[in-house]
Formats: sequence, structure tokens, C-alpha cells
Amino acid sequence: MSKVCDVIVVGCGVIGAAITYYLSASGMEVVAVEENDVGSGTSSRCDGNVLVIDKKPGFDCELALKSQELFETLEDDISFDVEYRQLGSVLAVETEAQAEGAAQWHSAMSRSGVRVKYIESSDVHAHEPMLAQDIVGLFECASDSSLNPMNLVYGYVLAAQNNGAVIKTRTKAKRLLLDTQHHIKGVETSEGTILAPLVVISAGVWTPQIVRTCGVDVPIVPRKGHIIVSERTFKVASRKIQEFGYIMAKFGEEGQRDVEPEMEKYGIAMVFEPTPHENFLIGSSREFAGFDTTCNMEVVSLMAKRAIRFFPCIEDVRVIRTYAGLRPYTQDHRPIISKVDQVPGLYIASGHEGDGIGLAPITGLLVSEMLLGCTPSVPLEPLSLNRFM
Amino acid sequence: MDDDLIVCRCEEVTVGDVKRAIEQGAFDVSGVKRRTRAGMGQCQGRTCETLIRGILASELSKRPDEFRLDTVRPPLSPVTFKTLAGGYDE
Ligand SMILES: Cc1cc2nc3c(=O)[nH]c(=O)nc-3n(C[C@H](O)[C@H](O)[C@H](O)COP(=O)(O)OP(=O)(O)OC[C@H]3O[C@@H](n4cnc5c(N)ncnc54)[C@H](O)[C@@H]3O)c2cc1C
Repeated sequence: MSKVCDVIVVGCGVIGAAITYYLSASGMEVVAVEENDVGSGTSSRCDGNVLVIDKKPGFDCELALKSQELFETLEDDISFDVEYRQLGSVLAVETEAQAEGAAQWHSAMSRSGVRVKYIESSDVHAHEPMLAQDIVGLFECASDSSLNPMNLVYGYVLAAQNNGAVIKTRTKAKRLLLDTQHHIKGVETSEGTILAPLVVISAGVWTPQIVRTCGVDVPIVPRKGHIIVSERTFKVASRKIQEFGYIMAKFGEEGQRDVEPEMEKYGIAMVFEPTPHENFLIGSSREFAGFDTTCNMEVVSLMAKRAIRFFPCIEDVRVIRTYAGLRPYTQDHRPIISKVDQVPGLYIASGHEGDGIGLAPITGLLVSEMLLGCTPSVPLEPLSLNRFM
Repeated sequence: MDDDLIVCRCEEVTVGDVKRAIEQGAFDVSGVKRRTRAGMGQCQGRTCETLIRGILASELSKRPDEFRLDTVRPPLSPVTFKTLAGGYDE
């Protein structure tokens, strides 16, 4: 028997959950299908940072700022505690050369509407006493925040169910179904066929293999990242702290880092995130290693070393767990939130790389605006699938 | 089992919390862990996983051995950052 609804959402990580919530809130009849459990993919193998400080000045900042605005009322909107904490975030500058190279970036951020404050070396340790003595400065962004990504997924899912959405776990989308005019017609799943005139694919790194069943290529590849979890311990810092050199390297600016080749090879950059559970998470690494999520202990070891360089005090803190996840990477580091021209009725919302948690609300909102034909909250052109053609 | 009974000491998760997670859609050990934080603490689920399997079995009318244990995530026993930085095998 085929089931009929207004829209099918394929994949229920943080992106699919947000979309399902926004669509159901607008009164549409939504069925979400998820191969395993909600949030069992990349969305449970990540940090929970909601940042603008690490975005490229310009459109990317605009997108992130819009999403941050939506987070401010989110816990009330979905009546769920997502451990949202707006404590700001900090970039730690290692050398004077880096600080000088940062001037251009700093003014570009201001022009993009992101307020970033520079803290001179004499004040660094008054703000962050545990940082290594030789850290020369800090950039501080007050609007940045952190949350618990799993709670975000569950919060959206429960609110969507409350709105009447149906969420089918352990249901794998096998093939997209088209009618004779090449319009989307539905989805063939492991649990039977579901029919709908609109289908949104939000399966993260797995989106390309689903969309390929109707002959369309989506340029998203997995970019693996590791995380180290500490035991409960003393307060190292109370907000998110990242090394600055990484941001510069990411955007190809001056002030590159002086690190060993292995660190560059695995894209190791120190990211510190405290949790409300008295422990902390350490990132980060970036490598193209297919769909493998087993931990590479060489990478983890380099991450530990890099973390100690910034926080010597954590040397004797114990590590209780490490894990790896797959960021859905696109070439220009921007998600694809777009219709698919070749298949009317088919939409894609994937490719958020390292920003999917922070960009979940704006993605859900944009998809609902696209499907309902409303004016989008940000221009959709920079997010289109066509930009890769 | 009494709902107030503690299943996971490290994260203070009760039988009631686990039952609620199952009610909200958890169907395996990892799903319960992600929803409740059980097994996420210091001991990494060494004691609570067996209990969680038992509750899953009784709530979903299955046998405990039908539930796989959660994936092991290294290190197997806690090591310090210093040891880890010095190379995992040393
Ligand atoms: C180490 C690391 C740290 C990160 N830190 C941050 C951070 O601090 N802040 C931030 O904003 N972002 C962060 N990210 C990025 C963020 O985790 C991702 O961008 C986000 O989770 C992607 O969500 P998603 O819903 O697109 O994908 P996923 O969570 O992977 O969801 C896709 C879902 O689709 C399902 N699926 C796949 N195939 C099918 C099928 N055929 N049928 C049905 N379902 C299917 C999968 O089971 C999965 O549940 C980090 C990522 C990593 C790896």
C-alpha cells in the first residue's frame, strides 16, 4: 500500500529534523524517513557550536547571523531544553605576525555585521587564565553560543511530532520515484512506497547516493573529523576557544601557522568546547577518508598534542572517549539548499560541512519558504545546486 | 523495576529516564545513550549497558541478547592527554 502526504523528508539528522519541524509548523503533512535512528549520523558525532566567528565575511556570516537569531527563541518555540548557552567564543592568536595578518579579516567581519573585539596580550590571561603564557591576543565574539546537538535533534523531532509529522525510523529510502514528466512522485523505501508531490533530501554525506537514483549528481563528500572527550575535571575555560591560525589557513590569508607537516596533513587545529557536564571536548581534524568512522589514533594523538600547546594545564586530565564523524563537505564550504531543476518537486538540503548544527534553524526556515513559495530570508542563489554546474 | 532506580551512576540516569527514552523512539543501546547520556560518563557504560539491555528487552518484549552492545570507542581505559600526545602505542 502506498501512503500519500504533502512532503517526504529523507534523512533525519539535525537538518532533516529542523526541516520536518518547520514544514509541520506551517501546516503541511510531513513524513520523514530515517534509515537508522534520528540523529544517528553525523549529528551525534560532532560538537555543538553555533558560531559566526569562523565564517567567511559576507554571505556566510549573514546566513550564520540569521540562524543565531532563530536560536534565541528556539527553546520556547519547541518547548525543549537544548542546553543553549550564549557565552561567546574566542580565537586565540599565537604570534604577533598572526595578529598583524588578522587586521584585514577583522575589518571584513565588521563590515559583515559581526562584532569581534580584540583583547591585547596584557589582558589575555585576565580573560582566559589557563591559556599558554605565550598567547599574544584574543578575538572575542559575544553572539556565539553552544548547545547539545542531540537535544536539538530530539527537540525538533518531538515538536514536529506534536505538529502531526510522522517520523519513520529504521526506514531506508532506496529510490526516488518520478512520473512520466520527470516530476518527483514519491520514495521507494525498505518499508514500502510513500507518495508525495514534494521530496526533500537531507541525508548529509549520504545525499548524493540517494539523488543519483534519479540521475542527478550532488557534489558532497565526507570530510572526517575526530573529537576527544575528557573526564569531569576542573574548569579549564567556560566558553568555546579555537586557535586563530586555523581560521586564517581556512581562508588562505596571511599569518599561516608554524606546525609539523603531519598537523597540516590531517588539518589539526585546536578547538576547545566546555560542556555543562563539567568535562570538555577537544577537536579538530579534517581529512578525506571515505565513509570510514573508525578513530585514527595517530590523528587523535596529534590533536592531544595541539591541545596541550594551548592549554598546558590539561596534560594530566584523562581522556574517556574519542570518536569520529563525517562532515558533509562542499567545495565552497556552503550548504546546498536548493531545488533540483532537472526534477521538479525535488529539493536538497545537505552539505553543511562543519556548520550543520548552527545552520539547522535557518535551513529549516529556508526550505519551508521555498516549498511554500514565500520570499526567502536570505538570497538562495549562493546556496543553489546550479552553482556547481 | 522501580522507576527511581539509578541505572547509570556516572550520569545519574534512572530506570524511568531509560523508559522515557524508549517511549520517545529509542530502539537500541546507542539510542538510549544518546537520549539520556547513560554510559557517556567516566566508566563509559561498563556497568549500565547490561541494565539498559534488560530494560529495552522488557519494554520492547524481546530478549536482552537481541540488543548489541554499543560500539567501543577508544581508549579502552582512560589515559591522560599527555600519554595520548606522546603516541598511543607508547
Ligand atoms: C567532528 C565534528 C565536529 C563538528 N562540530 C560542529 C559544531 O561545533 N557546530 C556545527 O554547527 N556543526 C558541527 N559539525 C557539523 C555537523 O555535525 C554537521 O554539519 C551536521 O550534523 C549535518 O547534519 P545532517 O542532518 O545533514 O547529516 P546527518 O546527521 O548525518 O543526518 C543524515 C541522516 O540521513 C540518514 N540516511 C542516510 N541515508 C539514508 C537513506 N537512504 N534513507 C533514509 N535515511 C538515510 C542517516 O542515517 C542520518 O541520520 C561537526 C561535525 C564533525 C564531524
